[in-house]
This record gives sequence, structure tokens and C-alpha cells, in this order.
Amino acid sequence: MMQQGKSSSSGSEMQVTWEDQQNINTFSRLNNRFHELEDDIKFAKEKCDNLEDAGNELILSDEEMVRFQIGEVFAHMPREEVETKIEEMKEATCKSLEKLQQEKESIVSQMAELKKVLYAKFKDSINLEED
Amino acid sequence: AQMSSSSPSGSGGDDLSERRGIPAAKFIQDVETYLSQSGFDSNSALAFHQERLQQYKVVEMKLLAQQRDLQAKIPDIEKCLEVVATLEARKGTGEVELGCALILTACFKTFSLKDLISMLACEIEHVVSQNIVLASLEESTETSLRVSLLADFEVSEGIYSRACIEDTDSVCLWLGANVMLEYSCEEATALLKNNLENAKASLEVLVADLQFLRDQVTVTQVTIARIYNFDVHQRRVNQVTPTAIAAADA
Repeated sequence: MMQQGKSSSSGSEMQVTWEDQQNINTFSRLNNRFHELEDDIKFAKEKCDNLEDAGNELILSDEEMVRFQIGEVFAHMPREEVETKIEEMKEATCKSLEKLQQEKESIVSQMAELKKVLYAKFKDSINLEED
Repeated sequence: AQMSSSSPSGSGGDDLSERRGIPAAKFIQDVETYLSQSGFDSNSALAFHQERLQQYKVVEMKLLAQQRDLQAKIPDIEKCLEVVATLEARKGTGEVELGCALILTACFKTFSLKDLISMLACEIEHVVSQNIVLASLEESTETSLRVSLLADFEVSEGIYSRACIEDTDSVCLWLGANVMLEYSCEEATALLKNNLENAKASLEVLVADLQFLRDQVTVTQVTIARIYNFDVHQRRVNQVTPTAIAAADA
């Protein structure tokens, strides 16, 4: 992340204070969390879509007993029960998806702030972009 | 990393000299002072910190593997809890749907008339709580007694089999190491909830460990860059001075 003694930098000693170090550490943490969140969001979105599709399939089908997956087995359940369960799961997943997206937005703005501060101090000597 | 007791300190890992066996990377205020005080020259200092970095990476790999294990374990436990909860909810919901004429048909198919009459002579609840599975009837399917839970489970890839799970007060839990133990539903739920809490707590600690570790990695990387830059700067300064003197002499 820190460019090592590139000729473009004046080769001058860039003083790094403890505060700078902490900012860099925080930025690194945020960046990691950001990538984790991206994966989590993708996963949650998929789950939400699957539940949506399942719900629609259920409406279209006319079976009385539906096989609903619990753990590793498919349990035979009456249709209304399955409908209720799917609704509950959909709500829970969508809520957690929202929370994840909110966290992601907050992290993005925090990272933008830190970028401003760090670039102001270090200019070319630091690289905070994704490779 | 060995488990040594971590020094008590304020919130945030910044002031810890180590955490659960992971040594903290000391922040260097000034590179020149550090080099002269430690007696390192640039190259040996760089080598030292590079090695530290490698050691951190090894620990990071280990922690990441542990994190993956825990992250797989938690949904597993949640699934088990769901199964136990479903079984508990289904208890006693089996209903008897019998039409009189149809009973006689059922008799011929599966039970002798005598048996069925004596069963019906007992309390209806008793019949309900017993799991009488009637083989599929060609004439009518409405005489089937609803058992607690019908489940299709995978026997092998793509091949499923049907299981009739009776009303039960107990479940068996796989504890690992080829050991399976029978528990009452309440005990099983309590045990699984406990395991889930422990797993979540361990995951939290692990995530904190990883954050601490990554901070130390970042500090070390920055230190390496600073020592390198300092070295480059020193070399440039040393190069310039003799030339300037030569020019002054000329």
C-alpha cells in the first residue's frame, strides 16, 4: 500500500506520526470490512431472491402438502404453514440485507474521509486505491 | 501462537504489547533514532521487519482457517435448532381422519377388523399418539393418519427416501467423535442454544484477534516502507555531498 521509495517521491523522509499510523490502520480495517460486507450482501441478496421465487412458485402450485427444507431434510408441511414460514424468512433476510447495505454506505463515507486526510498529508507516497 | 495471558489494558488494542500470544508491532516515532538506538543498519532492520511480517502472515492464515470453521459451524447449529423446534411444534398435531366405510377398507388392507376395533375402543388420543402408518390405499387416500412429520432425506446423491418421524419427546444429537447421544427435546434445545452462544462468542473474539493482527501487519508494512525510504534518502544525501565538494574544489 505504501509505495516504497519510488523515484517520483522526492526521496525525502516522510514523517509518519502515530496519528497517521492509526488512520492507516483504521482505513485498512474499514477496507477489509467493506469487502466482507460486499460478500455478505451478495449472499443475502441471493437468499432474498430465492425466497421470492419460492414464494411465487408456491402461489402457482396447487399442491396441498409442500416439501419444505429444514436442515438437510425436506419435511412435508401443509401449504399455509410453508407460506407463513417463507414470509417470515423473507422479512428477516430483507431486513438484514438493509442493515448490511447501511453499514456498507457508512463505511464507504468513512473511507472517503480518511482518504482525504491521508492523501493531504502523504500525497504520492501513499496508495489507497484498489489494485 | 502460545496462549499467554494478555495484559489488561484500556479499550482498543492500541496499547497492548501483545494479544493472546501475538506480539504487537512497536510504532517507530523516528526512523533515524530507531536505527541508531537499536544498532541496526537499514538492511538488517528491513530483514528483521520482513521476517516479522511473514510470522504475522502465518498466524493470520491460522486464524482465518479457524474463522471459516466457526462460520460454517454456526448455521449448522441453527439448522439443528430449527429441526428440534419443528419436531416439538408438530407433537400432537397428528389427526385421525377416518370415515366409517373407509375404515373397513383400511382393515382389509392393513389391520384385521378385530385389531382396529380394539384400537378404536381405546381413547382417540391414544390412537393419535401412536403412529399407525397405513400403507398407501388404492381406494382412498383420505384414511391416512397424519403422522408427526414426513420427511424426504437424501440417501445418496440425487436419491431420496421418505421417513416418517414419530411424535417423540427425545432427539439424538451427534456430538462428534462417532458419538451420538439421546436428549429430551428441551435438553437438546438448551444444549444447542448453548453451543450456538459459545460459537458466536468465539467468533467475536477471533474477529477481534484478526483485527489486532491486521493492525500489526499494517504497522510493520509502514515501518518497512519508512526504513526503505530513509535508506534511499540517506544514500542520496551521501551521494550529493562528495559531488558538491568536488565541484567546490574545482
